[in-house]
Amino acid sequence: MAETKTHITPGQRTAAKLQLEGVWRVVVLNDPVNLMSYVVLVFKKVFGFDESTARRHMLEVHEQGRSVVWSGLREKAEAYTFTLQQWHLTAILEPDEAV
Amino acid sequence: MKPFEVKLVLPVVVPLLEVVKELAVGLKHSHAATPELPGTDVIFRDLWKGELLLGQNEDLTTLLELFDDEFLKEGVVTFDEDNAELIIRACSAVRLRLRERYLQVLGDEALETGEVELAKLTEATRKAFMCYLFLATLQELIIQRIEGTLLPPDLH
Repeated sequence: MAETKTHITPGQRTAAKLQLEGVWRVVVLNDPVNLMSYVVLVFKKVFGFDESTARRHMLEVHEQGRSVVWSGLREKAEAYTFTLQQWHLTAILEPDEAV
Repeated sequence: MKPFEVKLVLPVVVPLLEVVKELAVGLKHSHAATPELPGTDVIFRDLWKGELLLGQNEDLTTLLELFDDEFLKEGVVTFDEDNAELIIRACSAVRLRLRERYLQVLGDEALETGEVELAKLTEATRKAFMCYLFLATLQELIIQRIEGTLLPPDLH
């Protein structure tokens, strides 16, 4: 069996590190299954949103297909994404390119 | 949230539980919604997915425990602080799987609005859709209690 050796250059390593650092966004995508009231409850529980903020994000998901519900460091963004996925919301992480 | 009981109509609910139980078995080994985590290594992804699956299984076990032998005698389910959130998550998992397995034919708009002509559905699709509505009703009842928007019967 052939063996492939991968050499990572310092430049690639720095680029990868920068990619994991920086600001990340937690985005919730629309799904046709989860109830509006359920999504509002999840946002309130996970992010501590008040009712109107939770509803605003829920409506954004519903009407525009997605809502950025949090942004910040990668590690915390991962934790939020994991929790949202535990609640079966379609949550993804994406780099915040505006920052 | 104070514990509360709901009495269900056994002849209506029992046939739907067959569907719930069948799907719950399949959900022991696969995620209700495919989790996405870009840009991470395979080991991390596997850990992530494994943890999600463990949580999903705990939720589903809690849901199925509601419908034990005692339930089959009286038709009463009890929700409390310990099981409420697990049950609404489990309902979400089963509803997602119902859509994937049985309800794609209805289209997403019909699923969102609930506007479906039951008479035109096949027996299997109709049963799946009734199950989908039943689980949504359980979710709504629990959410209303958690949110404090539904007063307990003695306060009405």
